[in-house]
Amino acid sequence: MKRVYDMVIIGGGPAGYAAALYAARAGLKTVVLEKLSAGGQMALTSQIDNYPGFEEGIDGFELAERMQRQAERFGAESQLAEVTALRLETAVKEIETSEGTFYGKTVVISTGAGPRELGVPGEKALVGRGVNYCAACDGMFYKGKTVVVVGGGNSAAADAMLLSRVAGRVILVHRRDTLRATKIYHEPLLNTPNVEFRWNSTVTELLHSGKVTGVKVRDVNSGEESVISCDGVFVSIGRAPATALVKGQLELDPSGYILADESTKTSIPGVFAVGDVRTKVLRQVVTAVADGAVAVHYAEEYLNSLW
Amino acid sequence: MAAKNINHMEFQNLMEGSQPVLVDFWAPWCSYCRRIGPAYEKVAEQYGEEMVVAKVNIDDEPRLAEKEMIEVIPTLVLYRDGKAIGSIVAPESKAMIDGFIREALGK
Repeated sequence: MKRVYDMVIIGGGPAGYAAALYAARAGLKTVVLEKLSAGGQMALTSQIDNYPGFEEGIDGFELAERMQRQAERFGAESQLAEVTALRLETAVKEIETSEGTFYGKTVVISTGAGPRELGVPGEKALVGRGVNYCAACDGMFYKGKTVVVVGGGNSAAADAMLLSRVAGRVILVHRRDTLRATKIYHEPLLNTPNVEFRWNSTVTELLHSGKVTGVKVRDVNSGEESVISCDGVFVSIGRAPATALVKGQLELDPSGYILADESTKTSIPGVFAVGDVRTKVLRQVVTAVADGAVAVHYAEEYLNSLW
Repeated sequence: MAAKNINHMEFQNLMEGSQPVLVDFWAPWCSYCRRIGPAYEKVAEQYGEEMVVAKVNIDDEPRLAEKEMIEVIPTLVLYRDGKAIGSIVAPESKAMIDGFIREALGK
């Protein structure tokens, strides 16, 4: 039997489940397709202190599960399915997944964003063998060892600080000659004895023999290359939107985010982009959930005009 | 059937059994381990008849984790006849775990 929904939501983070809640309450037949577990990036944050209503803060994973249960209470469905292809141009849109095809009269893209990769050869294969994207998750494995942190923003500075308490030696590699991080991160880091800096440098190669043994860095001014021996690399160079599925179908901005204004409408009628995957000024849980509600408002308008 | 937390003794007994054993090496402080939790429970439900689906907390069983050469968590290892026949680190989706199991068992 063909599984046709009024709304198919791709991605079960806060934006996706907020859309599911509003859609289900509006009487729309709704499904959320999530590849792993509710929450997206939020689920990896152990303490969220800026989501109103939780005066003591709340664990992101728990908040995600609550959002899921809340949407399901009103009839939204959840499916553990990984989307492999989308056909968005047709009136009823087709969503191919690991669990078969779903059909949606409207589609909400809430695929979020993830860590930006270095983009050097062998990076993917070395994930878990010396290449890391989460200091809070994987730092413990580098007790007393030497690690390289790549990046110069707030998260790189915070990662370097966290790792300095675990690792023996931390080397921060940054392509500029100063940190981009907020000032409160600068001084403590500069005064931490086991943190060193390699300014004006980019990582060009990962050296490995099964596991990471070092990185090759290039001085952006002189072009000179050198090798830093290390046991692990923490990549902390920002985030990238998960838009591979919609590339070529929806209009994207130069950084790859889906072009949609506060209405969340994309370049295709009936397709909405919510949360971190959309071009927006502030990427937060509160702005993500607001997107979900707005998308349902315009989705209803679209459905009423068409069906 | 829910995925069962096991210790090194239970692990040893399972290695001597006839069924394949899937083990998720995890720890309570590992946030990504928690993220794969719901998908792993689904795997336990789905494959529970043909294999044992278990979990090892590496904080409780550091020696076992070391012996099995676990350097990053979550790592899922599939054992058959007492030998590791495949492993996957930090799978990104339930579909990826399914693919890993199919491929490892097909070997």
